[in-house]
Amino acid sequence: MLRGILRIISRDGYISRSQLAKELNILKDIVDEGIMQLLRRGYLLEENTGEGCATFCVKCPFARNCSKEIVKTFKISAKGERYLKNR
Amino acid sequence: MASGTIALVGNPNSGKTTFFNALTGSNQHVGNWPGVTVEKKEGSFKFEGEKYHVVDLPGTYSLGAFSEDEVVARNFILTGNPDVIIDVVDASNIERNLYLTTQLLEMGKKVVIALNMVDEAEKRNIDFDIDGLSKKLGIPVIPTIATKGKGIKDIVKAAIDLMNRNMAAENPVQYGETIEHHIRNIERLLAGKELPYPTRWTALKIIEGDQEILNNIKQSPHLDQNLTDYIEKFHQDHRNEDLELEIIDAKYSFANKAVDGTIKRPAEETVTITDKIDRIFTNKYLGIPIFAGIMLIVFQLTFVLGEEILGGLAADLIDGLGGLLAMFLVYLGAPGLFTSFMIDGVINGVGAVVEFVPLILVLYLLLSFLEDSGYMARAAYVWDDLMRRLGLQGKAFISLIIGFGCNVPGIMSARTLDNKKDRMITTLITPFMSCGAKLPIYSIFIAAFFSRHGGLILFSLYAFGILVGLIMAKIFSKTLFKGESSYFIMELPPYRIPTLRNVLRNMWDNVYGFLKRAGTVIFVVITLLWVLAVLPVSVEPYSQLSILGRIGAFIAPIFAPAGFGSWQESVALFAGIPAKEAVVGTLGMLYAGQYVEQGAILVNAVKLQFTSLTALSYMVMTLLYTPCIATLSVVGKETNSLKWPLFMALYTFALGWLAAVAIFQVGSLLGFS
Ligand SMILES: Nc1nc2c(ncn2[C@@H]2O[C@H](COP(=O)(O)OP(=O)(O)O)[C@@H](O)[C@H]2O)c(=O)[nH]1
Ligand SMILES: [Mg+2]
Repeated sequence: MLRGILRIISRDGYISRSQLAKELNILKDIVDEGIMQLLRRGYLLEENTGEGCATFCVKCPFARNCSKEIVKTFKISAKGERYLKNR
Repeated sequence: MASGTIALVGNPNSGKTTFFNALTGSNQHVGNWPGVTVEKKEGSFKFEGEKYHVVDLPGTYSLGAFSEDEVVARNFILTGNPDVIIDVVDASNIERNLYLTTQLLEMGKKVVIALNMVDEAEKRNIDFDIDGLSKKLGIPVIPTIATKGKGIKDIVKAAIDLMNRNMAAENPVQYGETIEHHIRNIERLLAGKELPYPTRWTALKIIEGDQEILNNIKQSPHLDQNLTDYIEKFHQDHRNEDLELEIIDAKYSFANKAVDGTIKRPAEETVTITDKIDRIFTNKYLGIPIFAGIMLIVFQLTFVLGEEILGGLAADLIDGLGGLLAMFLVYLGAPGLFTSFMIDGVINGVGAVVEFVPLILVLYLLLSFLEDSGYMARAAYVWDDLMRRLGLQGKAFISLIIGFGCNVPGIMSARTLDNKKDRMITTLITPFMSCGAKLPIYSIFIAAFFSRHGGLILFSLYAFGILVGLIMAKIFSKTLFKGESSYFIMELPPYRIPTLRNVLRNMWDNVYGFLKRAGTVIFVVITLLWVLAVLPVSVEPYSQLSILGRIGAFIAPIFAPAGFGSWQESVALFAGIPAKEAVVGTLGMLYAGQYVEQGAILVNAVKLQFTSLTALSYMVMTLLYTPCIATLSVVGKETNSLKWPLFMALYTFALGWLAAVAIFQVGSLLGFS
């Protein structure tokens, strides 16, 4: 299952829970669980947009724009890439 | 003295605490687990004359060592010696909950399952074969409704029965041959040693490389060097085999097999509405045209609603206020210079900027709506895809979208790109994304010359900015920065109806920023320029003989090839470098001083000073030229250099100038005016 999740994510270039659930024939909750496992173990990395703005531009009137997350982004780590290639 | 200890374990929100309360009533107390801030709930109850001790463990999805909650729960299960565990499982979510159950069984614990919230599960038409599930898992499963106290007696009875039975735990999960082989090897090494944990489980943790367990084992006094060496070598040799994932996977498939045939849920909607929409919106060929279409609508609405309808009202309001203020000042007999400052500087200068609040409001209302609906994530994805195919960093588009509000946070957000190439390119092209402050400039010129196609022109300007950004990115990636771009994956959340609160808040952030700047930076810039425009006192104020006029006249020839060679327009462009809104503010103030008889309406003055062609070249100049000071300084901070902001200031200026000149010259040749 975990390999399946990583493979589909890598193929599509995006994460859609419903797509993953459908293709792997598992529940969306289990997809969440799998993504969490991959994150925890460093196969998938979560990116943080907007971090650190608070320190620099608290006075900037647009400061709140700074930390907004238009879309969550991830990265497949080197470990994840290797895992996909193995076997 | 209690006859036994029962631990309540389960996923968060499975109903453990409700269960705990139902069991213990008021016989409970709350404290903290030693050394951590996790709450510890303990209590006792009587069953058939015997007293039992109960502990409510923190809710977890697994028993690794990834959070305090997990560590607390795991340590208690391993070393707190509960005699039996009641695993509280949310019946609507068995698949996920069973992963935890599997781990409990592997720890060699006596476990009974409280299949809780069966009332909820029934509402969702989930069917259970409870006996079947119990058989497959090899442990008692009792349906409960903790909130109503249903099944509590039964589960307690089952738990106590199990507690008093002598039962050797079986291995619930069989792993693949490789893993089983490693387990056997390690078990052999561990045999006969005094371990703090069950042997097979310890072997598994060693294979998984669970740091906490490894440390505890290494500190255990009964272990010899051999084992420690073996463990070290094992991890060296199998570093790249992803054994831990295999172990997790096996647990999930065990859980899956247990529910297979014992739980029936109504078929999930396999193709959701989100999927259907995305098939079109994120389509390789349709994605960008759809994005363009949506943006065109956004700009059309912005222009019609924000400028023509609401903008007119705002302009009239400020104009009216100006009239009243003028009358009032005359009535008071205020000094002429002060009146001139209030009317020309504040009302016509700063006021000219404030007039655009409705426009900003409408644009960001619409953009916030798109963002909150989940569409912006798709836009980012579609652009990511296109930019990647152009060999550019895709994630940059997120910075660019933020840059449409204000370039500063746009550039700040690029700092999360982890290679220098991506970061620098994104930083260098973000200023081509028109920020909110440039909107007033465009809309003045559009209102004066292109009001019939307002939305289209506005859209084209934004689009042109993106296009220039893409081209420059390509050039930079070929020349200045080479190397691989990293590859990002976006999460596409389901579409949803935007919430009013989010939309309004998001919009307000932008409007507030705009207003705050009008009251601070813009006010200061306009005041300074006003002083320069009325000095020296010996000359006609706002004339070319004033200090400002002379500075302007000195610069003006630079812009003559682009068709707008008057001193006011040149000064306004430079006033835009501290803050872009000041372009409009400066024009408002200077023209108001000059065209007293035309009334203060800036649009009318612009109509006299410009032609459609020069308006176009002026707009393109403002679109591309040197970003504001705040942007430049953030570039300096982020790159920790003076070189890059300087480079940015100059190359964008050159680019803007070239584009403006090209438009004017080619346009003139073609006979436009
Ligand atoms: N419908 C229903 N709700 C329940 C049941 N058991 C608990 N709940 C509710 O589920 C929520 C979470 O319960 P709680 O005991 O706090 O879960 P914990 O996080 O595991 O401690 C609360 O709102 C409870 O009222 C049940 O059997 N049926
Ligand atoms: Mg609780």
